[in-house]
Amino acid sequence: MKIRLNPIVKKDLHVTVRSMRLSWSLFAYEAALTVTFLLALLVIQQANSYMGQGNIYASLIYLFPTVAVAQVCIVALYVPIITASSISGEKERQTFDIMMTTCMSPFSIVFGKVCSAVLRILFFVAASTPIMALSFVVGGLSWINLFYYLLAVILFSVFAGSIGIFASAFCRKSVAAVLLSFVLYFVIFGLSFVPVFLRLLFGSGNGGESMLILLGNPAVFFEEFFMQIMTGESLFGRSGGSFDADDVGLITYILARGKLWMFASAACILLMAFLFMALAAWKVNPMHSGGGRRPAKKQA
Amino acid sequence: MLYINNLTKNYGSFTAVDRLNLHIPEGDLFGFVGPNGAGKTTTIRIVCGLLKASGGTVRVGGTNAAVGSKAMKRLIGYVPDFFGVYDNLKVREYMEMYGSMYGMTYRDIARLTDDLLELVNLSDKKEVYVDTLSRGMKQRLCVARAMLHNPRLLILDEPNSGLDPRARVEMKELLKNLRSMGKTIVISSHILSELAEMCNSIGIMNRGHLVAAGQIDDIMQQLAGGSRIHIHVLSETEAAVRLLKEQAKVRVESVRENDLIITHSGTEEEICALIGSLIQNQVILTDFHREEGSLESLFMQLTGGAQ
Repeated sequence: MKIRLNPIVKKDLHVTVRSMRLSWSLFAYEAALTVTFLLALLVIQQANSYMGQGNIYASLIYLFPTVAVAQVCIVALYVPIITASSISGEKERQTFDIMMTTCMSPFSIVFGKVCSAVLRILFFVAASTPIMALSFVVGGLSWINLFYYLLAVILFSVFAGSIGIFASAFCRKSVAAVLLSFVLYFVIFGLSFVPVFLRLLFGSGNGGESMLILLGNPAVFFEEFFMQIMTGESLFGRSGGSFDADDVGLITYILARGKLWMFASAACILLMAFLFMALAAWKVNPMHSGGGRRPAKKQA
Repeated sequence: MLYINNLTKNYGSFTAVDRLNLHIPEGDLFGFVGPNGAGKTTTIRIVCGLLKASGGTVRVGGTNAAVGSKAMKRLIGYVPDFFGVYDNLKVREYMEMYGSMYGMTYRDIARLTDDLLELVNLSDKKEVYVDTLSRGMKQRLCVARAMLHNPRLLILDEPNSGLDPRARVEMKELLKNLRSMGKTIVISSHILSELAEMCNSIGIMNRGHLVAAGQIDDIMQQLAGGSRIHIHVLSETEAAVRLLKEQAKVRVESVRENDLIITHSGTEEEICALIGSLIQNQVILTDFHREEGSLESLFMQLTGGAQ
């Protein structure tokens, strides 16, 4: 049986793997991770000798979150750049109209674009496995954690890709789409803390139900993820050890126990990714929207 | 094949297409002409499902185009005016990608790719990267791509723009071949002489309105109020003019030495009878021919010299 790949994924993979840009990007990515790893090792070593601790191995566990956070940051920057230029790039190349006259649904096109971005990220993640594995070898973590980490990166790249594709569907120029992606990042990553801060400042002294908005914040998800992997405890369980259901509300109280927050957050992030993709598909569908714009001027 | 009924498209307060009515029968090679901004591309984009109409209906082979359904998309092959390329994609892969987008099997795609590349004379370019092809080759490849899912209606938006003369000739031959295969073709172009050679019917748009549609000769005849006929007589010019003026359906346009230009609003048989009566009255004819319709003059007349 032949597996039928989404034609857009197949085309994007063909085009991507044949370009030298991918090789250079992989090289730069590996170099950045290696430098991060070595710097983290140096800092741990220095800190260990400064503190006068004899056993460095206990501290080496921090190599993993350091390298992993560096990788997540690179993914966070790279994926929107790929996807934000995907639909607007097709529009600039004037291939998008042809695509829309085929039998592919707008959602398949959008989903294909996100998938190809995720697959491209998987090249990077796979290429970085030796470095990540090194931090696992000296860091004293189990291999299953590496697997969970890969799943978390895939989840995040789907989310970042959906933001990029959403921006790409709403902008005609790739540069504008990339900028819009980062504005959306700022809103999701930064402004989602505002209700919590406001409640902490003017409310009862804890986040309460306003913390639920952080379920959709990938930064909090990763913080919780690393906390669970490193200590086996929840970020909220520790910081809010004195939480009471009456103080923070029942839902927050329940979610802050065990691994529930992490899974609920993963579900929220996936749902948001789906929503962004659905909105992008709606936007690119000429039968639903886009009826107000005149056709682009003919090229000379 | 293509029925357009009261099609209207507004962009805010600007009306790009205003209550357009058009019917293109199956097997026609229809030329769509008009000055820039006349509404040709807007109409084409609505027919292809790339734009939502503000009003009216478009039916392609009985399917409503406004829905943008897969059934409708399978009926249409669209060739845009500009060929966008992907770097690092071969001709075969390009065809494979679009075939997959129509849900075709890889076996069918491979078979049809071979046939279509042969048709567009690109068989030897199958493993060549698309971005290395010349513009004319790219345009022919685009036609092959549009034909891959065997559509009944092929729509080409200015396919000859930017092509050199040789590529234009090749494109013209290709379109004639496609027509002989029974495809209905709609082609928008600014190169009127080529349209006149290729198309059996045309539609002239101006400021969102379809100002004329039908066979070129018919439109010419309607506009001129009959056929313009050039007559050259060897002698007896005055007798010929006198005789012509006596005919009810003949109007003498000009007389210059032995050359006469008349307009005849009668039937073919009446024109034949006119030749017979001239000969019977001892007028020696050395030439008697109908003026060929010039699409340029027709276009200028209908669009008020807009272009």
